[in-house]
Amino acid sequence: MNIGRLLSIIASASLALWAPGALAQTDTVKLGVIGSLTGPHSGWDVPASDGVQMAVSEINAAGGFKVGDKTYKFSVVQEDTQSKPDIAATAAQKLLSDEDIRFVMGVLTSTPGVPVANQMARAKVLYVGGFTAMDGLVGTKGKELLLRALDTDETAAKGFVPAAAKELGLKRVGMLLPNDDVSKSIVKIYEPLFKQNGIEVGLVELFQPGTTDFAPVLRKFQNQGLDGLFIGYSDPDAEAIIRQSLEIGGLPTKFVYRGGSSQPAAKYADKIDGFLWQILTRDLANPSDDKVKDWILRYKAFTKKEVTPQTYWALTFYDTVFMLVKAMQEAGTVTDPAAVAAKLKGMAYDGVRRMSYNGEGRAITDIDIGVLKGGKVYSIPQKIL
Amino acid sequence: MGLDIAQTLIDGLMVGGLYATVALGITLVFGLVGILNFAHGQSVMLGAYVTFFGVQAGLGFWLSAALAVLAMAAFGAILEQLVFRRTLGDHMAGLAVSLGLIMVIENLAAATFSPDPRFVDPPVSGSIMVGPLQLSSQRLLVLAISTALIGGFYLFLQRATLGKAIRAMAQNRQGAALVGVRVSLVSRTIFTIGSALAGAAGALYASLFAVTPYMGNTPLTKGFILAALGGLGSVPGAIAAGFLLGIAESFGSRYLSASFRDGYGFILLILALLFLPTGLFGAGKARV
Repeated sequence: MNIGRLLSIIASASLALWAPGALAQTDTVKLGVIGSLTGPHSGWDVPASDGVQMAVSEINAAGGFKVGDKTYKFSVVQEDTQSKPDIAATAAQKLLSDEDIRFVMGVLTSTPGVPVANQMARAKVLYVGGFTAMDGLVGTKGKELLLRALDTDETAAKGFVPAAAKELGLKRVGMLLPNDDVSKSIVKIYEPLFKQNGIEVGLVELFQPGTTDFAPVLRKFQNQGLDGLFIGYSDPDAEAIIRQSLEIGGLPTKFVYRGGSSQPAAKYADKIDGFLWQILTRDLANPSDDKVKDWILRYKAFTKKEVTPQTYWALTFYDTVFMLVKAMQEAGTVTDPAAVAAKLKGMAYDGVRRMSYNGEGRAITDIDIGVLKGGKVYSIPQKIL
Repeated sequence: MGLDIAQTLIDGLMVGGLYATVALGITLVFGLVGILNFAHGQSVMLGAYVTFFGVQAGLGFWLSAALAVLAMAAFGAILEQLVFRRTLGDHMAGLAVSLGLIMVIENLAAATFSPDPRFVDPPVSGSIMVGPLQLSSQRLLVLAISTALIGGFYLFLQRATLGKAIRAMAQNRQGAALVGVRVSLVSRTIFTIGSALAGAAGALYASLFAVTPYMGNTPLTKGFILAALGGLGSVPGAIAAGFLLGIAESFGSRYLSASFRDGYGFILLILALLFLPTGLFGAGKARV
């Protein structure tokens, strides 16, 4: 047998072997994932990234998704912002240098998040982020392809304040927050909502960011007839305020916390009369919903990690990956981010979270409210959507 | 109103005692040895971590605090021997080295302990009624300890032989050497004592506030304001300035704005520099 014939037989055999595969050919859609995989912000972004990877793995394992006549699978391209804004800008550039990446998810904290979002907007890719400062970017001119996967303060507060009124029986609260833009916008949103729910706001005080000694400012809240304190959004500040309130005495022992963890009150559970916090996705520590219970099992199997107080951030983008697939199918394209974004906006989805994106790209989702009362920890689902 | 003022005054004294303890270490080292040790705040931070880990290991607060004092004293002696002795007489070199030390120590602490805040269980908790005043038990304890530390140190300077040698050196370094004071040994002792005071301040800070790798910056900034306010090198000046700053911050936060808290100290400093350029207790020269 001469070499030419041998090659011809090998070529024919290869073709025969590969032909069925060729008939069911699967193309790839590159999905960018960016976030702080290292550094102090990794507590948020590592679980968020795990959630995207998990959704991608589930979609791919189910055979991918069809858009038009073609079947696609996702491949994830990931970059680390290292919790630093300068590195974040470089990481975003690196991701965008791959022209096949038109859809990107990630970054839950504002410091590295802002440079990433700005670059994504300039590059006209569809970018779904989670950080708070994104509220100032989403829906503005030139940033139509930016979406935020977590509720705005305004949206979350609609479920949170009635829960505070009901669970803690509050009548008159004081608000103590750091003197910054986030706090000022929180006060603007929460003050009227408290009033609408029958809670009088007796006193609002802003303290210098970085304050460690709260005793003098806490004295202002004594003898004001308050039955609750609203204590900002940062874990270290909240814990210091609770601890020092108990230390100096004569202050309310019910606390409303706009942050996302029970950590600040955990050590003082037997000394306080109540603590409420926001779980912006779903409560994984005390799940009551079967969908959540099932998700936890799959999460553990996929990541080989246990559920920690930070794990609920893994649900930030998880459902949005499935919504992205649906939007691609409805738009009939995997290459036109503008068309896909237009379908995502206005779409409602009943996944592990019940969520939708409004016309501007802001998520409106049901959240869980965490409650620590009488030494017990539980959560209340709040329908917002 | 009177009750409120009294409570605010005591709050100020309680935190002022802490400030004075930090300022004492700074003024001592600069005034007597001429070393501007910007890394003093990092010794406070390391002292706080020693206390935290000691309590975590089950040693209890008091033993952990003692350990923090000893550990920081050793740390100070090593720093003096390995680093600051070589920069004696060269303020710029001392300044550059201590600034570098801040970065090294802070980043090492962040890498080793993580930036997460830690809270130490205080030896006493809750509040007590002193007449009509409701006061934090732990803060009262901190005030008592810092006053005892400051008073004890002042007595040591006035009565002990080594204290007298320190004062002699402060008055005239060469003269002290001529009458037999071992200047290098006294310098190391001063540095060691200054650092031990930082360790004690760290333990007291940890009993009230969160422990983080970056917690040293505030005591350091305030310590330097106080050292300048009291007159660099003046021990009574640093003590008085410490209490004064605590009271100013407490009254400012209570009756003016809490969002300007750290600004009150700088107002005091500016006023002092304008009207008392050599500090609260006068004399540009070191006074002990």
